[in-house]
Amino acid sequence: MKTLLKIFSLFLIFIVASCEDVVDIPLDESEARLVVEASILYYKGSENNIQQIRLTETAAFYDEEIPPVENATVKIISEEGIEYNFIHTSEGYYINEDLKPNLGESYELEIVYNDEVYTATETMMSVTDIDFIEQTETGGFSGEEIEVKVFYTDPVDEPNYYLFIFRNDKISLEIYEDKFTDGNQIFGYYSNEDITPGDIIDIEMYGISKSYYEYLFILRAQIGENSGGPFETQPATVKGNVINQTNKENYPFGYFHLSEVDTTTYIVE
Amino acid sequence: MKQNFRLFILACCFAFTSFAQENYTLSGTITDASSNETLIGVNVLIPSLNTGVVTNEYGFYSLKVPEGTYDLVISYLGFQTISENIRISSETSLNFKLNKSSEFLDEIVINQSSDGLNIQKPQMSLNKLSINTIKKMPVVFGEVDVIKSLLLLPGVSNAGEGSSGFNVRGGAVDQNLILLDEATIYNSSHLFGFFSVFNPDAIKDLKLYKGGIPAKYGGRVSSVLDIYQRDGNSREFKMQGGIGVISSRLLAEGPIVKDKGSFLIGGRSSYAHLFLKFTDNENSAYFYDLNTKLSYRLDDKNKLLFSGYFGRDVFSLSRNFKNTYGNTVLNLRWNHIFSTNIFSNLSVIYSDYYYGLTLGFVGFNWDSGIKNINLKYDFDHYLNDTFQLKYGLQNTYYDFNPGEIEPIDETSGINYFKLKNKYAVETAVYLSAEHNISNKISAEYGLRYSGFYRLGPDEISTYENDTPVVYNEDRDIYEEAEAIGTQTYESDEIISSFGNFEPRFSIAYSFNDNQSVKASYNRMAQYLHLISNTSSPTPLDVWTPSGPFIDPQILDQYAFGYFRNFKEGTYSLEAETFYKKIRNRIDYVNGANLIANNNIERVILNGKSRAYGLEILFRKNEGRFTGWLAYTLSRAEQKTPGRTPVETGINSGGWYKSNYDKTHDISITASYEVSKKWELNANFNFQTGLPSTFPTAQYNYKNITVPVYSQRNSNRLPAYHRLDLSANYNPNISSEKDFKSSWSFGIYNIYNRKNAYSLTFKENSDTGVNEAVRLSLFGIIPSVTYNFSF
Repeated sequence: MKTLLKIFSLFLIFIVASCEDVVDIPLDESEARLVVEASILYYKGSENNIQQIRLTETAAFYDEEIPPVENATVKIISEEGIEYNFIHTSEGYYINEDLKPNLGESYELEIVYNDEVYTATETMMSVTDIDFIEQTETGGFSGEEIEVKVFYTDPVDEPNYYLFIFRNDKISLEIYEDKFTDGNQIFGYYSNEDITPGDIIDIEMYGISKSYYEYLFILRAQIGENSGGPFETQPATVKGNVINQTNKENYPFGYFHLSEVDTTTYIVE
Repeated sequence: MKQNFRLFILACCFAFTSFAQENYTLSGTITDASSNETLIGVNVLIPSLNTGVVTNEYGFYSLKVPEGTYDLVISYLGFQTISENIRISSETSLNFKLNKSSEFLDEIVINQSSDGLNIQKPQMSLNKLSINTIKKMPVVFGEVDVIKSLLLLPGVSNAGEGSSGFNVRGGAVDQNLILLDEATIYNSSHLFGFFSVFNPDAIKDLKLYKGGIPAKYGGRVSSVLDIYQRDGNSREFKMQGGIGVISSRLLAEGPIVKDKGSFLIGGRSSYAHLFLKFTDNENSAYFYDLNTKLSYRLDDKNKLLFSGYFGRDVFSLSRNFKNTYGNTVLNLRWNHIFSTNIFSNLSVIYSDYYYGLTLGFVGFNWDSGIKNINLKYDFDHYLNDTFQLKYGLQNTYYDFNPGEIEPIDETSGINYFKLKNKYAVETAVYLSAEHNISNKISAEYGLRYSGFYRLGPDEISTYENDTPVVYNEDRDIYEEAEAIGTQTYESDEIISSFGNFEPRFSIAYSFNDNQSVKASYNRMAQYLHLISNTSSPTPLDVWTPSGPFIDPQILDQYAFGYFRNFKEGTYSLEAETFYKKIRNRIDYVNGANLIANNNIERVILNGKSRAYGLEILFRKNEGRFTGWLAYTLSRAEQKTPGRTPVETGINSGGWYKSNYDKTHDISITASYEVSKKWELNANFNFQTGLPSTFPTAQYNYKNITVPVYSQRNSNRLPAYHRLDLSANYNPNISSEKDFKSSWSFGIYNIYNRKNAYSLTFKENSDTGVNEAVRLSLFGIIPSVTYNFSF
């Protein structure tokens, strides 16, 4: 009876007889564009310098396959002019094993694909350490969902931006700025209804630039649950920092960034 | 500017003197005999002189007539017409009390003479609904809703079920001036938008001006919804109330001093959250509001009115999330009759909108709001039978709190942060004339001058080239500029000032008693902006004043209409076309973060909007079967071009459809009186689907599927339609007993149409396949409401 009453009231107030179903909506198709996923990472304490860049193309929305780009030339050039060539292995992944980016230094990405030259420039961003992880069970709609809080101490008196990637079955990107938390011990937050004890969550904390933060801010608003309905922002074309120097109209998607990463694994209790 | 202002005042004085004439004045107040409630819009006619007037918002009328003996006819919807022979040989004051027509308690008979006046009066683009009509319409959950009922009239729409506010003739939600007893209401929605804040039992009269807006009103560019609360019964104590699925109501009214003073107090609250309490559930969502009114007639010439409104919405999800918001309004008015032909009302109004949010898991409280104090002095001046003036002045002081963040406790990682309060003063003077130029032509023309002063203390960032938003040509995105300095303003120092002349003009040409054409033009200025980049505003959105980087919105609207009564007013037809354009409509760059942003100027661009359309309203006003057919064909668009040729602006700088644009909007509302006790009602609604943006491609980034969107709002949701039915049962309508009760049974969306509230394009997290997911809000919903009065 209790449950019934609860369900009744929730039904009434929050969901008001709403229902979700999959519908068949035909869509227009736009021309294929290059998609650049160039995340150059340095994992704290790691000796491994293997870097990879993924190049793909956009596909029709309902397609199940994403076409990889396999015949591009990819390189990264340091401030001193050292060139790091990325070699295609398979499925659009390009590998270099020598690039160990220096904090605060700027790098240029250059891609030649279909006779067009794409470039992007970014600075290697540092990140503070993960202090500790706390688990609580007061999250979500029910107030009983498992929450994982990854604490870190924000460096004081400078603007910092963070990207957290949580991976268990699903992948979740969380981004933070320190506008209201400057210099404090604060946390990255992960909670969803599917977390259960015993789950292993891979956690990565990236230091990112302001412009990458802004890029991810727009990107996040376009994906999954965050779109549609009267209280959502307008969908937008998410433009990254890779520029087609040959033909501006044929702009690519994706982003080139360099981040220091602190990483850990957490087993849900 | 000062020079212009002086000229304007001079013109006012000239107008008063030049039309003075020797005639006797007949004036007075018209009230409901059963409650002494003043009646708005009562027709007072002298057929032999072919002259007449309607009572104003306070029940007052005044007519200039030459000496003689006349038949005076006083008529009002749902009341018995009074016809009296009077002799005028001096200044005469006559108050009348009207008795409810016993035969038709439901006000279904519209008196023909009232429509006759509508034909001849210059006012057009006016939506009027009596509160009785509103009360019997079928509505979702049986919750009588003023705004949802207005949506059934032409020219009024919203951004879908459950969206907040309403849109008038392609205008945005924040462009509606909503007045409750002359006080501004900043947010008209309960539960985000499922219900509106007005308690129907407390309302006496409402009018929605869509165009041809009189000079008396200003400060918003799209429409004026002018609602008056009842004064309360000064003859006897009365109670009424109702029990519904979502909320219950109770209202008490009665005399303080018999026939002189009255009170009214009404409350309404939702109560589903009480059930949640029984279940130890910490989640909660409820709203309540309280309407109060005190009125006291000092003597024949003076009356004091005090009214108040307080409403709150509260949501909480366990300890993690708590959200409170609502309006508070206090208002003291003094009606004074200077002479038999000059009526005045002085109002002192305080109104505030509060929004509070607690996010437990992040550890902060957030407060924001707007407060204002408003002084208004309005005059109705009845010069002669063909000329009536309205003039007045207004002064409003605003205090904006854009936001304050505080940590909940010491363990919170949040720092205290306060966005600077903003201050402003808005002033206006207006003069407006209603002029019957000839038997066939009447006009209403006026001028309003509005001024707006943004005041210190404040600190305003300065930017290179005065450009707070920088266009990054390489990436084709807009970025926030860095401030190059700060300019500090002392308390009450003027930061920026604006002034606008707002001419208003309407004219009617009557072919005969039953047919007329009308045309109108109005310019209006709006100095406040609701900062919102969601499809429909949320309660969290903050109001911001015009200032160094934000210009006032300026509207020009043209409307033309044809009006006709058939069969002595049994049927009526109104057809109007309109065109309007608004300058300085703010638009937001992609990714604009508007919450707790001290520098909104860095994420906005200056755009414009336009709307045009055709509205048709065909009504059957008399008989057992009444109702209307409303059709609107319209387009509402917005455009924000780049500031230089290389810039692309928003949406490539082209026109794009507003979020609430609907090409076709048809509603049919019908009511049939089966017997004295039973009445059946129906409405049917068909609307073109709302604009939406569908993806044209997808890509993968960090193992996440990202849809690619192209032109904004270039697609549409599927068409929206539904049919609602209701039956009202009045078992003891003819009984002599004081206690009366009624039942209302309703079914919303009877054929259970799954109307799309939104379409979401996303990856199915189980299958990994992309799909379009339709969310539909209200399926078939039965409801029952019990009402009583004694």
